[in-house]
Amino acid sequence: MAKITGWTGKLLRVNLSTGSISTQDSMKYKDFIGGSGFGHKILFDEVPAGTKALDEANKLIIAVGPFTGTGVPSSGRTNIVSLSPTNPYHAATDSHMGGNFGPWMKFAGYDAIVIEGASKSPVWLRIEDDKVTIEDASGLWGKGTRDTSAEIAKIMGKEACVASIGQAGENLINLSSIVNSNSHSAGGHGAVLGSKKLKAIGIKGTKAVPIADGKAEDWLKLNDYFMKEIVGANNQHVVPSTPQPWAEYSDPGSRWTGQKDLFWGAAEPPVETGECPPGNTNWVGLRTQKGFFDLGPVAEERTIRMDGCHSCPIRCHSDMLVPELEKYGLSGYATSTCINYSSPLSIMIKGTADGDSKGMDAFITKCLGSRLADDYGIWSNYAQLGRDFKYVYEHGILKEKLPKEEYDSIPWDLLEKGDPAFLLEFYKRIALKQGEFYHVADGPYWLDKAWNLGKDYWAYKGNNIWSKMAFPKHHSNEAGSHVGTLIQIFKNRDANSHTHMNFIGAGLPIEVLKEVAGEVWGSPDALDKPNDYTPMNIYKAKFAKWSMDRNYLHDSITVCNYTWPMTVSPSKSRNYRGDTAIEAKFFSLATGIETTEAELDLAGERITTLARCETIKRMGTVNLRKEHDVIPDWVFDADPDKKAYTPGTVKLDRKDMETAITMLYKEYGWDEKTGAPTRATLERLGMKDVADQLESLKLLP
Amino acid sequence: MLEKEIQGFIEKLRTRREFLKISGKGITTMAVTASVLNLLGCGKSGEGSDTPATVTVTPKGILIAQRNRCVGCQKCEMVCSIKNNGKASSYISRIKVARNYNYGLTMAADYATGEGDYGNFLMTQDACRQCKDPQCMAQCPAKAIAYSETTGTWTVDTEKCIGCRTCEHACPWNMPTVDPETEKSGKCILCGTCAEHCPTGALQMMPWKEVTVRLEKKGYKLS
Repeated sequence: MAKITGWTGKLLRVNLSTGSISTQDSMKYKDFIGGSGFGHKILFDEVPAGTKALDEANKLIIAVGPFTGTGVPSSGRTNIVSLSPTNPYHAATDSHMGGNFGPWMKFAGYDAIVIEGASKSPVWLRIEDDKVTIEDASGLWGKGTRDTSAEIAKIMGKEACVASIGQAGENLINLSSIVNSNSHSAGGHGAVLGSKKLKAIGIKGTKAVPIADGKAEDWLKLNDYFMKEIVGANNQHVVPSTPQPWAEYSDPGSRWTGQKDLFWGAAEPPVETGECPPGNTNWVGLRTQKGFFDLGPVAEERTIRMDGCHSCPIRCHSDMLVPELEKYGLSGYATSTCINYSSPLSIMIKGTADGDSKGMDAFITKCLGSRLADDYGIWSNYAQLGRDFKYVYEHGILKEKLPKEEYDSIPWDLLEKGDPAFLLEFYKRIALKQGEFYHVADGPYWLDKAWNLGKDYWAYKGNNIWSKMAFPKHHSNEAGSHVGTLIQIFKNRDANSHTHMNFIGAGLPIEVLKEVAGEVWGSPDALDKPNDYTPMNIYKAKFAKWSMDRNYLHDSITVCNYTWPMTVSPSKSRNYRGDTAIEAKFFSLATGIETTEAELDLAGERITTLARCETIKRMGTVNLRKEHDVIPDWVFDADPDKKAYTPGTVKLDRKDMETAITMLYKEYGWDEKTGAPTRATLERLGMKDVADQLESLKLLP
Repeated sequence: MLEKEIQGFIEKLRTRREFLKISGKGITTMAVTASVLNLLGCGKSGEGSDTPATVTVTPKGILIAQRNRCVGCQKCEMVCSIKNNGKASSYISRIKVARNYNYGLTMAADYATGEGDYGNFLMTQDACRQCKDPQCMAQCPAKAIAYSETTGTWTVDTEKCIGCRTCEHACPWNMPTVDPETEKSGKCILCGTCAEHCPTGALQMMPWKEVTVRLEKKGYKLS
């Protein structure tokens, strides 16, 4: 057999019930690429129907792909698959974290770590190359993620990467996360580790990830091409946010904030971001001044540097100097990105004391909240946590449901006057599961169950909950009409797909984007103008399917779907065309298996379809069209005085959307009535065994 | 003070470059101030007090490593090991960032205020200092480390290397690393791949010609 490259070829299994530690050939799962594909395959094959997320029988699969640890741009992501306690059916979700953990897995020699069973007492897992041991964690239980990491580093060496749960995961809070490398959190599976009493995994390794023989120079050349001609800024925004002499276009919404006289102001000495046109590798990481984008102009002088995941040139985290945090007992430093910065502000529902959502009080609130959430290991559920809290506070539900003594002990005055110190109480009460307040972090479905919120809660304006799957929308009908809407219906958590959103938000004029859409999906009609939609057509179905498949492919291979794919580029000389075949080019060089773009897309389709089968198995119904793929009324009922498909509204039409769903099922070869993959489709994708299992469960259409 | 620093730096560049020409030997990396960085066209004038960068003098030019620009992506380690070993590995990379990533060179008693990603975010890019009297060479029992005319650096001859790891321990900064798969040592030969691929220019190879031009722009002469 040829030497395995790209992958390590090895998978680690740890059973916490029996203490057994073993390895197996990971290439058994090669058709599923890695990451999400490995995770869903193992979960589907091995975890029986009817299992709940926090049951001993649930498994948690941490997996990466052939790109991880090779230096492919933006390949520092780790994918986790397990049943989700937040989902109404405990259906499987993917959670993702950046940082260093994934590459460290490869350097220790593993494509995946499968956690099985449950320990009776707290333990942590120690991995140093081939040496794997289960260690006592009684001294770590009760600690935050940062102290846990530091304690383990003192044992394993300071270079060890530690992924751990905080107090929230220990206390089985539904909205809990797994955190590594200080600020990189995977949302939704903290409680699964908590139920297994696995506090942390410490990992380090001395191994190399081989790429295909003789391909080192080709590899470096491809990387060079990517960096000089193809990649843009955060979210693959390919035009700067301000007009610049070299740039034909600019867009104020672009995350390409680099410009003259904009600095990382707290660096010593300060670093000017400057103009960073295409063609120079050494400027790519300066394009996104993410502190400025996420935290506003006040953040410029507080910016120490940009931060982010292993091997990523984009740097979507920003590192802040915040001495104000010292009065809350923290160090004067904060780091985070996007939603984890914004969600603490959304909890401060009465605003901040200075009333400025981009002012210094908001800055401190965001920095403080992100630190607390990461340390306790609390997941914001794409900021739904803040919206849920707002609803139960403002509708008097908290007052009604909490015991009086508990309610009166909460410092509401801090909330009312916009004092960020309220966050100390907010997060602590959730993470430590004090009293009844923690229910706000149950997730919408279970919160409703606990406190009987009723129809008003699900329907209120401003709530973003998507259907009875009870997750918030994430780039839905406002992002690409039917395309964004179709993408929402697949998953069991917020869709978290940026394939479509990055393209739509790239910053190029709509005419250019429509031309590109025509080249990639067959017609410019695949893309509607913002706020000016047209009825469904087949090209939108192709765009939606491609977005989903690339999303699963990226989570499997693994690269960051906030950055990839490269549908467009910042290069005028390329007429702003990107290169959607780069994944296949890197794949061929990493694995030595000559692979085309179409072949990788088929692998993406296979993984999307498998995840669909996973959901069917957990829900115990074949009729996902009726039971799962439900679109909330607000998509159709918004702007009552406007008609769908007229300028100025993002509303869609119910009947037309049914057509859209049917078209999408057809593209996948799924049964149009139920939305379930047919045996023929599963066999076409090489998943006869999946069809057999579903048939035995009477879950084939 | 600034003028004195600048004159001092230029003098060091001059003498070390001359020494390189005469002896053909590598010279120790030197720490430089913000005003020197500004002189070389890196960074903003007059701010930041300590020594935020290092400069290594090589036959081809100078390698500048700026801590304030390092974003901890470790891409340098990946391209280094792919270029020099044909495989990606943080452990055998000749430039070292990963081992300092979390807590800096030494983990502080209070890690939250120490260096690294869990502290003040300051990264440390470490590479061979190209010592005047390299202990790795002196202590190598196989005489596998010698000056290479081609690279102008202390270089490991993998034919001679026996993988005993003496060099790893002999170096005060533990820079040479024996590849556990091949049992051969490796260390930085200033190939510049790390700098070429750094997304923020935190590592920079500046050829002598450019050094001269930059100095002249600010009214100084190298020779």
